[in-house]
Amino acid sequence: MRAVRKLPRHARFGLWSRLTTPRRVSVTPLSWGMLAAAILVFAVLGTRSLVTYAFDAQSRAFSASSASKSPQSVQFVLVAPDAKKVAVVGDFNGWDASHVGYQAQHRGGGVWSVTASVPLGHHRYSFVVDDSVWVADPIAPRAVDNDFGVTNSAIVVSSQE
Amino acid sequence: MIRVTRLVRALVALWLFPLSAKAQDTTTLAGRLDKPTYIAVSAIVDSARVAKLPTRPLFDKALEGAAKGSDGPKIVVAVKQLAVRMSFAKDGLGAKSTPDEIRAAASAIEAGVSVRDLARVRSAAGKRPVTMQLAVLTDLIARAVPIPTATDIVLQLTRSGVRDADLSLFQRNVRADIDNGADPTAAATTRARGLVAKSAPSGGKPGPSQ
Repeated sequence: MRAVRKLPRHARFGLWSRLTTPRRVSVTPLSWGMLAAAILVFAVLGTRSLVTYAFDAQSRAFSASSASKSPQSVQFVLVAPDAKKVAVVGDFNGWDASHVGYQAQHRGGGVWSVTASVPLGHHRYSFVVDDSVWVADPIAPRAVDNDFGVTNSAIVVSSQE
Repeated sequence: MIRVTRLVRALVALWLFPLSAKAQDTTTLAGRLDKPTYIAVSAIVDSARVAKLPTRPLFDKALEGAAKGSDGPKIVVAVKQLAVRMSFAKDGLGAKSTPDEIRAAASAIEAGVSVRDLARVRSAAGKRPVTMQLAVLTDLIARAVPIPTATDIVLQLTRSGVRDADLSLFQRNVRADIDNGADPTAAATTRARGLVAKSAPSGGKPGPSQ
């Protein structure tokens, strides 16, 4: 029996034996740390991308680099000599005319303007004059969608390169 | 064990982060709409999500209706129609189209652009996004340029590789021409001819309007 055990093993059997035979491995604390970091990165990226793709197609547009996601400053200008108050409303501020960052200032001569932060992408917006009158931006592309009786303006915000 | 708990908490927070925007949308919508309208809009949004359509424009449409003081049934109809238009838009632009493209294409469809023409614009643009092209196309139609003419102009500009900034300038120039009394079709075709000539790599003949 001892003579049989001394015979050279087949190469494939040797590999299998090495893989299946229990052995003791020494790991330094630094290696454990690196392994934990790798698992963490994989888990975070994997989970985020899973959620991003499963949530809906909307997420896909914003899966680009974080730099290109950052909102851009856009100046909105309206000439309204008789206005007492002008605000910009759109899908970038939940169509909320009381939103603080979108209140236009009177610059003199009936010119109202506000420079506001708008996320990248295609948006629809309008001006609200004196909290009651909806006015499309006269110089912007028209959005056509007048489901509620007032035509909006369209804006395409792209990253400044 | 404490460290592991913290790690698990951090992972769960990161996993939930993208969903928080959705929750915020829902909360905002619930605060602005009456209950029957909110329920009806939520059902449309859920259907859109199943169909892999962007849901944010639907929330926005409902919020717009509420801001403009429209009644519930009108808001529901508007949201439903937008969902249908976005579905057609996605058919025209392809499954890989972005939410911005789909939203812009939905507006173009409302202006009268056919799904077939959307596909032509997509084909002409190749891998470039077509959001700006569709916004300009919609604007031309809104300013009384006939749909076939407006479509041909945008296709020509897209095939010529005109940049978004130049397209935006083109839209402003056409608008100014129309405001100054020019015929919309003449203004659009002339400005487009000039832009195409300017965008030609070499040997392009200068357009008459530039």
